[in-house]
Amino acid sequence: MTIAIGVDVGSLCTKTVILDGGNNILSYDIMRSGHYYKGAAEESINNALKTAGLRKEDVGYILGTGYGRGAISSADGQVTEITCHARGATRLFPRVHTVIDIGGQDSKVIGIGDNGRVTNFVMNDKCAAGTGRFLEVMASALSVDIGEMGDLFFASDKNVEVSSMCTVFAESEVISLFAQGHKKADIAAGIADSIARRVVGMVGQVGLKEEVIMSGGVAKNAGVAHAIGKRIGTKLLIADEPQIVGALGAAIIASERI
Amino acid sequence: MEKVLTEIAEITADPYGYVAGLKERKEKKVIGCFPMHIPDEIIHAADLIPVVIWRGNEPVTWGHAHVPPYDCGITRSFVDDAVRGKLGFMDGMVFHVRQCLQAGEFPFIMERHVKPSYQKVLYLPALYPGDVMRDFTITELEGFKTSLEEFTGKKISDDNLNKSIEIYNKNRGLLERVYEIRREKPEILKAREVMQIVWSSMFMLKEDHNKLLTELIKGMEAKTVEPEKDKIRVIPVGCLCQTLQFDILDLIEDLGMIIPDDDLYIGSRYFANQVNLDGSPLGALADRYLTRTPVCPTKGVWQVHWGDEAIKKMRDNDARGIISIIVKYCPPHACYYPDFKSKMEKEGINAIMIEMEHEIITLEAIKTRLQSFVEIIGGV
Amino acid sequence: MDVKYKVNRLQTTNEIRPLVDKHWADLRTAKERGEKVAWASGPTFIFAYAMGMKCHFMAGYSAYCGGIGAGEEVLKVAEMTGDLPETCSYHRLHMGMGEAVARGIDINPQAILPMPDLMVAGRLCPEMSHYAEGLNRRFDIRVLPIDLPSVYDLKDQPRLREFVYRQFKEVVIPTVEEVCGKPFDYDRMSEILTVLKKVATLRNQCWEFFKTKPACWTLWDYGVSIAPVFYLMGNPAGIAYYERLLEELQERKEKGIPAIAPDGEKYRLYWDGWLPWAFLGKFMRKFTPNGAICLCGRYPWEFFPHPELIDPEHPVETWADLYYGEGRLTYHFSPHGTVDLISELIEDYSIDGLVMFSSKTCRIMNLSQPGVIDVLDKKYGIPGVIVEGDMIDPAMISDAQIETRLEALYEMIDSRRR
Repeated sequence: MTIAIGVDVGSLCTKTVILDGGNNILSYDIMRSGHYYKGAAEESINNALKTAGLRKEDVGYILGTGYGRGAISSADGQVTEITCHARGATRLFPRVHTVIDIGGQDSKVIGIGDNGRVTNFVMNDKCAAGTGRFLEVMASALSVDIGEMGDLFFASDKNVEVSSMCTVFAESEVISLFAQGHKKADIAAGIADSIARRVVGMVGQVGLKEEVIMSGGVAKNAGVAHAIGKRIGTKLLIADEPQIVGALGAAIIASERI
Repeated sequence: MEKVLTEIAEITADPYGYVAGLKERKEKKVIGCFPMHIPDEIIHAADLIPVVIWRGNEPVTWGHAHVPPYDCGITRSFVDDAVRGKLGFMDGMVFHVRQCLQAGEFPFIMERHVKPSYQKVLYLPALYPGDVMRDFTITELEGFKTSLEEFTGKKISDDNLNKSIEIYNKNRGLLERVYEIRREKPEILKAREVMQIVWSSMFMLKEDHNKLLTELIKGMEAKTVEPEKDKIRVIPVGCLCQTLQFDILDLIEDLGMIIPDDDLYIGSRYFANQVNLDGSPLGALADRYLTRTPVCPTKGVWQVHWGDEAIKKMRDNDARGIISIIVKYCPPHACYYPDFKSKMEKEGINAIMIEMEHEIITLEAIKTRLQSFVEIIGGV
Repeated sequence: MDVKYKVNRLQTTNEIRPLVDKHWADLRTAKERGEKVAWASGPTFIFAYAMGMKCHFMAGYSAYCGGIGAGEEVLKVAEMTGDLPETCSYHRLHMGMGEAVARGIDINPQAILPMPDLMVAGRLCPEMSHYAEGLNRRFDIRVLPIDLPSVYDLKDQPRLREFVYRQFKEVVIPTVEEVCGKPFDYDRMSEILTVLKKVATLRNQCWEFFKTKPACWTLWDYGVSIAPVFYLMGNPAGIAYYERLLEELQERKEKGIPAIAPDGEKYRLYWDGWLPWAFLGKFMRKFTPNGAICLCGRYPWEFFPHPELIDPEHPVETWADLYYGEGRLTYHFSPHGTVDLISELIEDYSIDGLVMFSSKTCRIMNLSQPGVIDVLDKKYGIPGVIVEGDMIDPAMISDAQIETRLEALYEMIDSRRR
């Protein structure tokens, strides 16, 4: 009964992390949330249990986090993704003081004190600007696969500015840049930089303190991560699997509650 | 006590209906005052019914064609009410056009869409140095009084004014007593009930409200409550001009916080400062307006810091955090907020800001912020 | 075939940039020369000028920042230091600049101003007070505040004039005397007004060339020429500038050179709201290809349209009268004043349509704009559209949205011509 589970139900993806009594990661799972958060959480938990070769009865505590944290029927408790990201990040990189998390539909910057606890944070969850959803829309406007987009950035040799913050307007801007004959790579770089500029403002509000980790699905986009690092003037630490940082933090808090 | 609370909840559920009914019962004309600084004692003294204009709870409909989306909630709701014909019961309206830029445009819109038979514009000055500010405030109030006399055809004597001021002072004193009891036993009322109590004072006749409060206070004094020691005490600050969505107040409480006192407009700011009855009544009303505290960003005050005031209130109530509530697109508050925030940071206060929109589309997002705030204070 | 419209650029307007640059360069180096520095908002800087202080002006600085392309980076600093994005972009610009200096954040050095010895804060709009308060709280800057209400009803004007005049006499003048350590220089104020009177008179003669059909120049040309009637006030170079401009316009008229080639404008437009300082070129490129030009506007007409009322012999009184007397400058901020003024402009400049620029961060004129369009459409049968944007902040501008609205305006004008 020393097994702890953290489930992060995000707007786009649901993530689960399973820890043993020694706080080692036994397994994790990432899947699309779809429209039915409740079902997604249970399915993701089952997937992770299966990978770890565990049964539900082995589990001591399940902690939910993320946008859909209230919808997890098997959860024993819930904590916000802010606190969980901070805890997960500190576990992965003990000297971290700033977390930049860009998920499917929101972005946040979290300040962490020397004790590993949250000191302050800012969130943008009002609009999709600069989030995973934003990148998806931009990728489709450029007719490239979202996976390709991150690499495309590095083929850019010219600055193209995408100034609109709004996803809808940025899409029309991208289409018109395309029509003006700009290269895909340059536009992709412009998109990455537009996200970076948004993030810089948020980092400033929290106060930049090194080290800085980037988490969330968008951290997998090397172009965006590079652009953000360049704008804030420091290299970003990125976990091997940046999407599970929140779920990991949730699992850590879960293990403390067993 | 429960009976009074139920009555107040019913009244605040439909302020339009209540005021229309009041007008019929009393056979008096209704004058709407745009919040926050109109001294409506003068309207009361003119034997009219003063009401403080409110933000309705309905989504904006026809108003979209008349008001940009980047105006604040009460502006959008008020204009929407106006163009939908919901404000027909107002015989007159008063605007202090210097309060913010949005307030300055109402007279034109109301003249076109509501056509109140009485409309008055006040230019209350900023709280700047020099005798000229007080003199001018009095000039404004004299003009206000004269215009009401012309509207009703009746003189407003100093005696009328003093009587009205006394009734208003009594109301402020009773509201203060409600807050005093709440400070002693914060569990006694839900935050939404407290807001309803203050809000109802803004559109009921003060003498009626005073009766309700007197009864309520008796009940509150007699009632014992079980202290909830594990609750985190917080002070909400701001939400200028308008009611906060009750859902947000409930959310604060559901997340394990409790509000022993507040610094909200529809809250302690409304009844702060009595009017001195010693000298000339208009001079005394001017002096209340010219009082620097509670610090209001619409008044041009910088000799005292709003942050210091909020911190004092927090400490006086053994509270552990401050929740700033900014009405989205409220420029006076938005301009002040960075200074408020840096004061909190400098003093190491647990503080958070949430933005309130007229049509909440992001209650979940507000919940995440507030829950994180609780986790920070609670050390999760 | 479609007509290809193109701007005929004026020569004289090239001469404004050096004058403007020199003003800001002098201000940046004023302290090195031991001169006192003031910052100002609202029409208050004349008192600082009269005392020989170098002076910044809120909107002028913002226009300058927009013009040199420094707006976005300075706004970013403001965001980082806690300002909310919907706050007045002039406010954010000043806070951002102050914070950049205080925290050593790298921004365009041309956008940096010396911190003032005195902030003369004319509260024409409340935001002008808010930013002065912020500067005081954050950087301990001494503030001289003046309340300058705009007039909603002309019958309120006399008492507001008295209120403002008393502030000039009882608060403003004693304070600048104290800060500068010398008596107020009424003579210098008179000289400044004498120059202003000449410049504004010449400028009014130039306005006549907006009336010609086709027009000889555009509102944007006037927009870049505004400094001599404003923060370059009192500088005789302004007289020379407007003399040359007038000559060039006269020559154009004689030679039949219109503001836009080949044959002049198809649509004559009124522009409401602030000029979009950082986006003048952007808007120009949206007007010109369609044969549209802006010819007049509420804001650009605030700069002393009645020079005949300027009485340099009575400087302080005339200054109060310009704003609260026959000059009625503040009245144009009220919806009624607006309707009166635009009506005059529509008649004088043969306007075909109204572009109501609604700034997402400044709400001084926005709320009444739909009503103003409605009133004027009923009165003159001309259409209007609201165009959303900002004076400085690129994040508030959407090209596609603006183009759609402007095209709708052209179509409405066309359909009414049929």
